[in-house]
Amino acid sequence: MDSVVITITSGKGGVGKTTTTANIGTALALMGKKVVIADADIGLRNLDIVLGLENRIVYDSVDFVEGRCKLRQALIRDKRAGELYLLPAAQTRDKTAINPQQMIAMINELRDEFHYILIDSPAGIEQGFQVAVAPADRVLVVTNPEVSSVRDADRVIGLSEALEKGPAMLIINRINSARVRKKDMLSVEDITEILGSQVIGVVPEDEEILSSTNRGQPVVLNSKGSAAQAYRDIARRIVGENVPLTMPSNGSFWQKLFGRA
Amino acid sequence: MISIKGQRQGILILFSDAEGATWAAQLDELKAKLEQSGSFFSKARMSLDVKTLSLSLEELQAAKNLLEEHRATLWAIASQNDKTIANTRRMGLATDPNKEDPPALVNDVVAKENPFAAIADGTDGLLVQRIVRSGQTLRHPGHIVVIGDVNPGAELIAGSDIIVWGKLYGAAHAGSTGNDKAVVCALDLRPTILRIANMTRRVPEDKKRKHPKPEMAKIVRQEMNIYEWTP
Ligand SMILES: Nc1ncnc2c1ncn2[C@@H]1O[C@H](COP(=O)(O)OP(=O)(O)O)[C@@H](O)[C@H]1O
Ligand SMILES: [Mg+2]
Repeated sequence: MDSVVITITSGKGGVGKTTTTANIGTALALMGKKVVIADADIGLRNLDIVLGLENRIVYDSVDFVEGRCKLRQALIRDKRAGELYLLPAAQTRDKTAINPQQMIAMINELRDEFHYILIDSPAGIEQGFQVAVAPADRVLVVTNPEVSSVRDADRVIGLSEALEKGPAMLIINRINSARVRKKDMLSVEDITEILGSQVIGVVPEDEEILSSTNRGQPVVLNSKGSAAQAYRDIARRIVGENVPLTMPSNGSFWQKLFGRA
Repeated sequence: MISIKGQRQGILILFSDAEGATWAAQLDELKAKLEQSGSFFSKARMSLDVKTLSLSLEELQAAKNLLEEHRATLWAIASQNDKTIANTRRMGLATDPNKEDPPALVNDVVAKENPFAAIADGTDGLLVQRIVRSGQTLRHPGHIVVIGDVNPGAELIAGSDIIVWGKLYGAAHAGSTGNDKAVVCALDLRPTILRIANMTRRVPEDKKRKHPKPEMAKIVRQEMNIYEWTP
């Protein structure tokens, strides 16, 4: 199968990597793709919580790497979204439990059976990050519209270039158009001017995210909200559809931003 | 008698095997050069070319220690002498810096670029056409020319001039081996730290300039000033 391995990373923590991974993975599965989302945040896993699959974990990726189970046994199917599977991380271990070679071998085993394998990276640029990007064909960098987050994104884009992962693509998360207008917040243009990277999606700040996270239900499952729509659009761009970067909720503003392209 | 060269794989130190060129004297010379150079070699990956010199483990180790004192890493020693090659292997170092790649050092991306030979004044240079990003250091004993932006958190260290055809928002150190004739030029010159030779200055944190002008920093009568850059 022509599989694509995508690592979602950021440098800075708390910018929305896990939320993004869960939603894009679910959206891809709802489009009929066979998808694995792998949690690479060993010791601080929470992709399972965001997906509401916490109670179904029996084995995790460290169990597989250390030979206690087959890879199939560690995968948890999320029946709400067709062929969507979670590969959980161990909670009681640390980032040294899996090395980059083991990660590559593990992900390669999934390539035959799945269209997309999404990897949720831990924060930072140390071992955990290196392991998460090692098997990636593409790297998506999540940033918030604030200076420190953009600085970390720059660092991570540089590192993934140095690892020869090709140009990273950017997801700008938690943008608030009113605050951008008031110049309280960096705009999409400000960010792309600094990073020089292609933007694959802009996700607005949306209260729905918090409640859906607490319920273990990614917003793309059933919401018509603006963040849900933005995540669905990213999934469509990932499969190669041409979806213009506009936002339904406040179209004129977005059109102004991207109209020049 | 030694000479220092910037290369694709990092920095190469060439030793002489001419008659009378002793190891001890050349190490002293290297020591003096390292001391003159301030922070230039810190975090750099270095290789040696010792030609036909026959060197003991202790002699090679002395060179390694000297470099480490200046926070540089020795990763390879090229030699045409069997004993020296054997000792290099015993130290766990590479023996052919042209064939092997230096250990990946995520902070130091010099190895990815190709130095070019500048025609104008015969000084070597490093030409880079991309964004230099936060956490990346470009280091070269000659000029550094960047066609692209240098982002905050990135660092350029050049023995001679620094020319940025783009925004210079990172740290820049020109004339890092003490050359106070060196200049720093950029289309938008707003480095976090600007150093030429041994002088440092901060660039005023003025508001984002709508239409930045190309500028050049240089030392005139012991003072670093910023002038309009009219190439
Ligand atoms: N678009 C958004 N709007 C509102 N809250 C968000 C959005 N994206 C993420 N969040 C919230 O931000 C916090 C951190 O998100 P998370 O995905 O866990 O980040 P990371 O994995 O990068 O640490 C969570 O509480 C999440 O609900
Ligand atoms: Mg996370």
